[in-house]
Amino acid sequence: MRTILKLTGASIKAFVRNRQALFSTLIMPLFIMLIFGYIGFDKPPKFDVGLVTHAPDARTAALVDQLKSFPTFTIHEGALESERAQLEQGNRSIVLDVPDNIAKDRTIAAYTNPGQASQAQTVLSILDQFASTAGLAAAHASPAFVVKETAVSAHNTRYIEFLLPGLLALSIMQMSVFSVAFVFTQYKEKGVLKRLLATPMQPLQFVAANAITRLIVSVVQAAIFVILGLVLFKIHIAGSYFLLAFCVILGALMFLGLGFTISGFAKTTDAVPMIANLVVFPMMFLGGTFFAVSNMPAWLQAIAKFLPLTFFSGALRDIMTKGASIGDIRWDILGMLIWGAILIYLATVTFRFQERESA
Amino acid sequence: MSAIIEVKNLVKKYGDFTAVDDISFSVEQGETFGILGPNGAGKTTTLEMIEGLKRPTSGTIALDGKDVVRETDAVKSVIGVQLQASTFFESLNLVELLDVFAALYNRTDVDPMALLAEVELTDKAKNEVKELSGGQKQRFSIAVGLVNDPKVLFLDEPTTGLDPQARRHLWELVKQIKAKGKTVILTTHYMDEAEVLCDRIAIMDHGKVIALETPNQLIKNLLASGFSKPVLQQEANLEDVFLQMTGHALRE
Repeated sequence: MRTILKLTGASIKAFVRNRQALFSTLIMPLFIMLIFGYIGFDKPPKFDVGLVTHAPDARTAALVDQLKSFPTFTIHEGALESERAQLEQGNRSIVLDVPDNIAKDRTIAAYTNPGQASQAQTVLSILDQFASTAGLAAAHASPAFVVKETAVSAHNTRYIEFLLPGLLALSIMQMSVFSVAFVFTQYKEKGVLKRLLATPMQPLQFVAANAITRLIVSVVQAAIFVILGLVLFKIHIAGSYFLLAFCVILGALMFLGLGFTISGFAKTTDAVPMIANLVVFPMMFLGGTFFAVSNMPAWLQAIAKFLPLTFFSGALRDIMTKGASIGDIRWDILGMLIWGAILIYLATVTFRFQERESA
Repeated sequence: MSAIIEVKNLVKKYGDFTAVDDISFSVEQGETFGILGPNGAGKTTTLEMIEGLKRPTSGTIALDGKDVVRETDAVKSVIGVQLQASTFFESLNLVELLDVFAALYNRTDVDPMALLAEVELTDKAKNEVKELSGGQKQRFSIAVGLVNDPKVLFLDEPTTGLDPQARRHLWELVKQIKAKGKTVILTTHYMDEAEVLCDRIAIMDHGKVIALETPNQLIKNLLASGFSKPVLQQEANLEDVFLQMTGHALRE
């Protein structure tokens, strides 16, 4: 036990002093988080409505006032020519040319921007709604109905809240796979492992010390992500931190198995990035880091939903955004356990301290 | 003197290739034993089998009364090893590395600075291995081999690639270790090194031990067989010239 502790201490020191490892495990993901967090993919679409009036009568002016009072619309008033020019430059979703006497003309000319078709459609359907109720109101003395609005407090997941657990899962995968695959292949290549074998140390002690180091690093990574998310992006974390830590360790263990397996296959350190990227790169895009797996075409989903990273990022995301309990994410946990067992088994088969002797 | 290592009918095969072909010898306590031979003669394979790093195909090795195959860990505890081209962890300094190795032998009584002083690396204590010169690396490697105060120290080609000054410096170190009563087993390509350091020499070729004698006896045997070479009456050689001109002092 003293040996494992001492080895773990040495391995933590080596990890922390290795600037490259520190950069790729902590700094890089934080950059990605900051970039994606501040781009703000989830800003509500803007409804820029150009409004053109000439010499409106009282009825028409009332309608225009009502349009202006719509909170979702940003109304820009101007001459038809200048508003159309704005539309052509993409600064308006729609331009409405309101006739002077709406009761007589009954037609509003709408110029729409196909590039912002969904916003334009929304404005049009609101106008339609508006026109029919306005007609009803004209026919009867009192409005046919009143809409009573009740605000329900709801938490809409922002993109940063979707992204953060995914990025966390991704960086833990990168750290576990690459740091083990590189370091152990290098140790093997340079004879470090052979030198260790010349001592009474058990190989398992050395593997354990290195695994413990990386599990600690993964928990530190998670803590940094969560703290920065809370401080910089004011994210809302719904679930239990304990369950989060549990899943972080489970995911890291699974990917440590992958790291050792790759190190078992790689004869030289040059081969490591090739083999590792072959496995890791597709998962970056299919493992639910940047986009939800449910948005993918069906055939791709069939593959993507069984990837180790998908289970991992899914579990972290459900805990952080939905406050999932261990029961809610049981399938993700089962997926990680199965992958963990497969990868650790493969590691024990492929990874050797010494090249196997042909004798 | 009693034998600390007994090798009997040792064989190592890789498929059809026989790297070590039925060799037997013993090494006495406290002697410096050299294994010589051309590349591929089986020197390193023999050494690594005695160190417990490779399993013999057949034959037995006893070290300090323990069977190397069955009591590998017990044997590893009493030997010190300097491997050909072995490196250490990066990002740790010499003192930290010695600490780690002390832990691997489960020892708490190791003074890293004393070990570094023994191999004259005191001023490099806070450096990393990659910052050392070739000779310093080999000396550090020997310091690591001495961490567990071993009974037997194995040195695999300790001076290969070193300049004349560094070689001589390492020879002095090996002599000091021998003077402390430790048994040293070394392999080398250099005959002068074997002549200076070794009490007895085993010459290996094609996996077999073809001679085992003291250096003097080997030379006498050769001369007795009628061998003679034109004797040049030179009291010095080119290495002496080089060392005379550049000095014996170590430069690193």
